Amino acid sequence: MPDWYGYAGRILRVDLTRGRVRAGELERELARDFLGGRGLNSVRLYREVPRDVDPLSPENKLMFSTGPLVGTMFPTASRFNVSAKSPQTGILGDSNAGGHLAAELKFAGYDQIIIEGRSRTPVYIFISDDDVELREASHLRGMDVYEADEAIRREIGDRKIQTAVIGPAAENGVRYAGVYANLMRAAARTGMGTVMASKGVKAIAVRGTGSIEVADPGRFERLVMEVEEEIYNHEQYWPRRRMGTTRILMMANAAGFLPTRHYKSGVFEHAWEVSGERLAEEYNVKTRGCSACTIPCSRFYVVKRGRFSGLYGEGPEYEAQGAFTARVGNGDLNLALKAVDMCNRLGMDALTTSECISWAMELYERGLLKREEADGLDLSWGNGEAILTLIEKIARREGFGDILADGSRAAAERLGRGSELTMQVKGLDLIMADPRGLKGFGLGFAVASRGGDHLRSEPFIELSDDPKRGMEMFGIPEATMRLAYKGKGRLVSYFEDWCAVIDSLEVCKNIMENMEILPFKRAAEVIWAATGIRLTPEEVRTCGERIVNIERAFNVREGITRRDDALPKRFREEALQEGGSKGAVFEQEPMLDEYYRERGWNLETGIPEGETLERLGLGFAAEELGYKGIPKSS
Amino acid sequence: MRRLLVKAEACAGCRLCELICSFHHEGRFSPRLSRINVVKEDRLGFDYPLFCRHCDHCPPLESCPNGALGRTPEGLLMLDEEACSGCGACIGRCPYSALRPGDASKPIFCDLCGGRPLCAERCPTGALTYEEAERFEERPEEALKRLLDRWGIVA
Repeated sequence: MPDWYGYAGRILRVDLTRGRVRAGELERELARDFLGGRGLNSVRLYREVPRDVDPLSPENKLMFSTGPLVGTMFPTASRFNVSAKSPQTGILGDSNAGGHLAAELKFAGYDQIIIEGRSRTPVYIFISDDDVELREASHLRGMDVYEADEAIRREIGDRKIQTAVIGPAAENGVRYAGVYANLMRAAARTGMGTVMASKGVKAIAVRGTGSIEVADPGRFERLVMEVEEEIYNHEQYWPRRRMGTTRILMMANAAGFLPTRHYKSGVFEHAWEVSGERLAEEYNVKTRGCSACTIPCSRFYVVKRGRFSGLYGEGPEYEAQGAFTARVGNGDLNLALKAVDMCNRLGMDALTTSECISWAMELYERGLLKREEADGLDLSWGNGEAILTLIEKIARREGFGDILADGSRAAAERLGRGSELTMQVKGLDLIMADPRGLKGFGLGFAVASRGGDHLRSEPFIELSDDPKRGMEMFGIPEATMRLAYKGKGRLVSYFEDWCAVIDSLEVCKNIMENMEILPFKRAAEVIWAATGIRLTPEEVRTCGERIVNIERAFNVREGITRRDDALPKRFREEALQEGGSKGAVFEQEPMLDEYYRERGWNLETGIPEGETLERLGLGFAAEELGYKGIPKSS
Repeated sequence: MRRLLVKAEACAGCRLCELICSFHHEGRFSPRLSRINVVKEDRLGFDYPLFCRHCDHCPPLESCPNGALGRTPEGLLMLDEEACSGCGACIGRCPYSALRPGDASKPIFCDLCGGRPLCAERCPTGALTYEEAERFEERPEEALKRLLDRWGIVA
């Protein structure tokens, strides 16, 4: 009988400064209280990375974590979280990706890898079950993600290894560089690749030959069959198989919240030309999937005619597709595919790259940025040459690209203008949904623990615009209507807790949350059958709540308060002028009040109350945040 | 005879087949203990499951010094566990890399789940099927070339 079910049961510490590697047992109470994945990373970051650590110093820690279902046949259990203090935002950073790396890590025997210190010479970490080597990597320096992956495979002589690789953008110090698994599974938000580069680590390569057992195989298999069945019969099955997330672009355009020309409009006149439908018809040749996925939604494409003909690869997903089409005013799909491909190979976040470029384009249009300041580039909307040139320049930190290489917030500070036009929250550049047309999403952007991003809550149900759902779930019909305000605090806190659970089990949010396949009740059953850990549905939700709160505590310790939970001024003051969300602005304060009340956070400061932290078993954080003795509402 | 067949253009490379296989044969999840193994080339979008095809001509069978590999009455490759010494002579002789060392260093390979292969039953994309076929001799490198030609990729 193994010591652990579901979990591999071990963590690996890699101390680069001393060149020492040490495996240890996963702490049982952390597994129970934080589940795994994102939760496990976040609590360990809170404990081990104190306030004011420079994100690019040896004192920061980079953690890779998988979840208790990864490595089993539970549909979509394939993901990993990579976390550290972010060099882009200065607060908690993390990013999540699928592919096949996470399962390999489990088979090698680890739930979490903690990378500490800094290596004097460039290395890559090769994990082959119990053997962990720091291998010399000087010869890999400067290689793009594809080249480095191939070089490592050849060197190890095993094409079955899985890798996580950084590209030249990370090595050159772009503060929003990502970590890439299976070449294009990008964990690209918040600069985790930059942290990896600062540690002198070019890649992680993993080969695992062990196994994962579950606590109750019979019950586990029945649950898996039930979930498979539900996925196959779901109305979203075929659209997702065919288009993945790219199906969203036309939906967003129709509802008028497709960020166009840097959020000046919610409607893009070339939407159809750059749509998921067109990709499916004219470009896609094959479906690909992450490990154990029964609804594989990744698409392998080939550009068959026109400019960049012969380009091929996997993807793109909606965010990157939208980022290099509507957001920059580009109606040429081939050009967008080229731009995304470049970001992937150079290894940097497509969303932040696009925000920096589209922000510069808006400044240029308003006469706030002169052509000579932008290295002579004509930054008119949709100018493909300028877009591709800027991507190169950013990755090399060259000329005007150097100014854009730290994210839009830092770029505005350096340039000394355009600050109110940066579309970011807490330094993380916003995603491809205009919050004026989606109030719950917008509230989610405002409060998300990694900054302006949807993946902390993603209340997809808001897109249904169906008051019956709001009534059923929250007792408030408006909660699930996208242009209404009431009930959004309750909606967002619910979905934040849910997403934290999904991210910590390391299953796919698209399926388990958006398609509502894994509600708390079923999650409790699956956790029990897989790991033997018995939690009630309420306790599962409490795990999510605990994770949200420990992340908030991390950020509060770094100085975050209510005033940072704010969307850019444009959304609050300028109404959308056309389309399905015409006339809409974003009134954030009443929603924030409701949200803090739901959370048990202080209304004035946005800081979790001592009693909230105590209730969640986070007394250590309550103490550190200055609640002494028996914490009471301040 | 009924054979397990591969449609390379449909395989998404999810490797669910490997997990289902090891779970049903070994009671745990482990690609190493799976009788089916997916080879992948991410750069070219290529995925291809390999397994014992129960070929008429079987080099591993011929290579066994103990006569431990034989045929069922239906013509499927089978192992006489008692006769097998675990010497490994058969491993590496299969052109499809379908025989691999199990935990007792004896070869493990596809037994078609006794006539109802679960990998085909549960394959999410229909890339694996179990049907009547004279033979199945495609090699992964041939499938790759065929797909790249069809897709117009110059690799």
